[in-house]
Amino acid sequence: MADQEHIEIDTLLDMPAPGRSRTGRAAALARLLHQDCTYLLELYRERESLLSDHTPAGDRIVSLSLSSPDLSSDEQVQLLHSALRKCLGLLECLILREEEEMGELEGEYETVRKGVRDRLGHLLHSTKVLLETEEDVTPDHQCNEEVDGVVGTFGAKMWTYRVLLELIHWANSASQTLHVLHSEREGREDI
Amino acid sequence: MPSLFFCILLLGLRVTESQASGLAPPQQVRLDADKETQTLSVTWEDGHASTFDVEILRTELMEMVLNETVGVTEDQSTGKHQWNWTSPVPLECTSLSVKVRSRDGQDVSEWSSQQILPGLDLPDNTDSQMYPEGKTVPVGSNMTFCCIVEEGQQFGSLWYKDTLVKENMLSRRTYATTMTNQGPSNPSGTNVVCSNEKKMIIAGAVVFVGYPPLPSDLVCETHDLTSVDCQWSKGRDTYLFGMTRQTYYTLNGRNCPKARNSNMRCGLEQWDGNWTLVARNLLGEFRLTDAAELGHRVRPVAPVNLTTPEVYSWNASVGWLWKDKGFERLSLICQVQRTSHLNSSTQTYTGYGLNTVVLKDLQPDEKYSVKVRCGSQKNFWKWGEWSLPLSFQTKMDRSVAPDIWLWMDSDNLGRVLWKPLTKSESHGQISGYEVILWSPEENSQQTLTLPQSVYSLPINVTDLGSKVTVTVTARNPAGVSLPANVVIPRYLPDAEDTAISKVAFNGSGFPLSWVAHANASCGYVVDWYNTSCTQDCNVEWTRVAADNTNTMVQSGNFFAGVRYTFSLYACSSESTVLLERWHGYMQELVPSRTVLRLSPNQEGADVQLTWDQIPLEHQRGFILGYTVYLTNASHLTLLANITDPQLTNHTVRNLVLGSYKFTVKAYTAAGEDGGATVSISLEPYTYWLIMEILVALGTMTCLLIVITIACYRKRKWVKKAFYPEIPEPKLPGDWGITQGTLDVKPSPHSMVHIVEDSVWDSSKEALVTVPEEDEEGTGDEAADTDEPASLRYYNQVVEEGSSSQRRPHASDSSASSTGSMDSGHTDVTYTGIQTSACSLAPMAHFQPQPDASQCVGGGGYRPQMQSASCPEEPQTGPEEHLQPPVGSFGGYQPQCSWKQDSPEADGDGLDQTCLGSPTSVTSSQFLLPYDTSEEGKEHPSSASTWFHNLLTGKP
Repeated sequence: MADQEHIEIDTLLDMPAPGRSRTGRAAALARLLHQDCTYLLELYRERESLLSDHTPAGDRIVSLSLSSPDLSSDEQVQLLHSALRKCLGLLECLILREEEEMGELEGEYETVRKGVRDRLGHLLHSTKVLLETEEDVTPDHQCNEEVDGVVGTFGAKMWTYRVLLELIHWANSASQTLHVLHSEREGREDI
Repeated sequence: MPSLFFCILLLGLRVTESQASGLAPPQQVRLDADKETQTLSVTWEDGHASTFDVEILRTELMEMVLNETVGVTEDQSTGKHQWNWTSPVPLECTSLSVKVRSRDGQDVSEWSSQQILPGLDLPDNTDSQMYPEGKTVPVGSNMTFCCIVEEGQQFGSLWYKDTLVKENMLSRRTYATTMTNQGPSNPSGTNVVCSNEKKMIIAGAVVFVGYPPLPSDLVCETHDLTSVDCQWSKGRDTYLFGMTRQTYYTLNGRNCPKARNSNMRCGLEQWDGNWTLVARNLLGEFRLTDAAELGHRVRPVAPVNLTTPEVYSWNASVGWLWKDKGFERLSLICQVQRTSHLNSSTQTYTGYGLNTVVLKDLQPDEKYSVKVRCGSQKNFWKWGEWSLPLSFQTKMDRSVAPDIWLWMDSDNLGRVLWKPLTKSESHGQISGYEVILWSPEENSQQTLTLPQSVYSLPINVTDLGSKVTVTVTARNPAGVSLPANVVIPRYLPDAEDTAISKVAFNGSGFPLSWVAHANASCGYVVDWYNTSCTQDCNVEWTRVAADNTNTMVQSGNFFAGVRYTFSLYACSSESTVLLERWHGYMQELVPSRTVLRLSPNQEGADVQLTWDQIPLEHQRGFILGYTVYLTNASHLTLLANITDPQLTNHTVRNLVLGSYKFTVKAYTAAGEDGGATVSISLEPYTYWLIMEILVALGTMTCLLIVITIACYRKRKWVKKAFYPEIPEPKLPGDWGITQGTLDVKPSPHSMVHIVEDSVWDSSKEALVTVPEEDEEGTGDEAADTDEPASLRYYNQVVEEGSSSQRRPHASDSSASSTGSMDSGHTDVTYTGIQTSACSLAPMAHFQPQPDASQCVGGGGYRPQMQSASCPEEPQTGPEEHLQPPVGSFGGYQPQCSWKQDSPEADGDGLDQTCLGSPTSVTSSQFLLPYDTSEEGKEHPSSASTWFHNLLTGKP
């Protein structure tokens, strides 16, 4: 099912479409990404036998704020794009560390994890298109344990937990921001 | 704060030192901790003893962890004593205090100065922590985990996986839990989580619980006669994953990086002859060895470049190459597997440096796929890998002769049948068939060419004589097949000449067996078809070798409930002779319909049921018989079971009148059909009833005739018995009235004296004049004529009132006459015999159609003891029936029905019974009914006359 969605989204992204449809598709993509991230966290908790009310200690990893009233929609998308780049970097680092720790497994968690990475990459492309600038879409994170503050195996797991929460947060932010943008652009087109 | 703790500890140590004895205490006690192994090493000097007491406390809570006497010898080289202790609790969890004293028997030295191994729960280490972290342990091991809570936070709970576990407080900030007999972890390890009171995860640890490697079955071989390829089985799962914890393998000291997951193999460039495999992970290592000569472990690689240098219809050659030249100098054994659409088979070939084989027994025009694998013929070890398949197609050849048969519908008409040639029989695409009919007698021949889709041909052999041979050939691109011949058999329908047996299906087919026939040079043919089929039937046949006398007839076209006819023919070049026939069902079913035309036929008290047999196609089994039931509502009563299926009637006997319903069911081995029902209502048998009536009438007539004749012949006796002589009455002398006979000549039609009756006046008219009978029965001509006889009255009746009414008196012998003097009645007294009712009764039978008046009259004359009345009589009402009136006898007063009025009347004898009579009667005349009509006047006269004459013998 996830593969099928990817195919549909890839097809949509490859299609030439007017501007207002792009925002709609990007918003839809962000919603799907949010669902995938939520499901990925659920699988992670299940694998690690973590209770849902157990939360990891620590601050936010990607500290950007979209809530400033002075930011226009385009500026918010710009910030969102940056945050998503960091998220993609974190996710790829996460995958790398887990494969080192456990080897290359082929469970459902690994499948969804790969799906999230691909969809996050698509969303980055979408926001780049929306920004109509030459934004970078490469992952923005140096996978360094010292930088990440990862100490020990359990520390890596808590970092993973926090990264997954971060992904959920930014996927949700992307969904809302792009929805607002889509609404604004729809309104302008209508006028 | 930390300095305060140290002061307290030092003060405590001073107190304990005061207990020392003569032995010198250990000096320079030193603690070294290996936190990974949780081992504490204690060293000291100047002990001068070999036995020491060691005491270990948790520094903060002063809880005793260990107090043990240990034997420790001095290391001569260093002059130090060393003792190691493995702590069950990670050494980071909390600080430990250690002190040592020398012991010599019961003598002990003072304690050494207390040494402290500081834990990580000291105040200057504020972060939350959990120990041990990332440890790998064997399955089943016990472990203690401790959580050091961050300064300022409250401990919440400890979780092992998703299980809340009970903690133990080791220090102000340290809580521990011990897990025993731990099970295998998942790939990411087992989490132990420490949370604060807000359920926030403040610390945690991961433990990897698994097994050391345990591989098996190391086998090394060569595929190219040079290198070695070793394989082994992974064995038990270690449950340890990732670059750090996975199992690593080495073969003869060389790493095997490709040995991953299930691909447990490792190779070396050269054949060593001895191999050692070492499997290693964090929990341990395991060694496997193998040794062999190269020639004993040859498993060749797959041959390459397969070709077919020569391909024919029935054979082909296959060649291949070896990548390694060494195999060209090795004795090889090779398997060639060939697969066609028919089957797959493997043939084995051997040879020195074998690289070509010839495949035999191939089928023409057939596609084959072949592949090859080889092994060392000498010291065979294992088959090598299969080569890639090679496909080729053999050339075409002439087809086999068709399998033909003849099906005769009549003496001269029939069909030539042949089976379609299969792929393996046609040897190429069949383009058509040729049919030749020829007769040696007539020396004539007919040839027909048919397309490949035709498998039968109608024939008419009328003009071809009695012995006709049919030949069929098939043609394909390779040529014409060999001819198939058959001599037309004589047409023999069922029930002619040949006995028909029954054959039962045995689950797989119909087993047929027969006696060998001398003239079956080319074997036997068994054909079969649906027995009920009449036109264009589907005929199947099978051939049986001449030396066989049995076969199992099998077909996918057999159906349950269908009768098949099996015919056995002996086949020779000269003739085809029918030998035997069978009928059989693959499965017998109940008939699909009931008997036909079931009808009942009454035969008196019997009913004969007749019916027609069920048509063959509806029988669906061998009819074994019929059952006849009497149907009563839904209940069937078995009347008969007819076990002869040819019998189609049954008689139900001795039935009483009424309606009957009969059901007839035919039955097979599978059971009865639904049953045909017929009803019949049994009527009285008319002819017999008429006959019975006639016989009864005849019998009665004869009886009457006999009686009449008897009476006639015995008329005198009858007269005497029923009409006796009545003696002359003798009058008493004091009879006041002049005696004498009063002869009256009555008018011819008024010869009746009226009897007065107070109740019924008309009684006067009811009296009938009866001519006086000649007592002697002789003489008086007047009595024989129609003239009215003179009545003789005797004036002996007491006159009462009216002088005109004379009453005849009774004889003086009758005492009743006196009793009647008081009676008010005036009656006519008759002389003569009273006609009994019985004597007249038969007469009534011969009275044709008595009318109502005659009923009155016929009753007008009534038996004396009867109170008969006639419905038509107006005077006769219901009340009168209940109490018959005196005058109800039509004026005739019965003599003996008179009721006595006086006690004197209670006399004796017959006469006395009549004492109550008002008047004694003496009459010699029969009483005849009175009729007012003219005919009535005539009729009694003639009837009475006739009977009178009969009795008197007059003609």
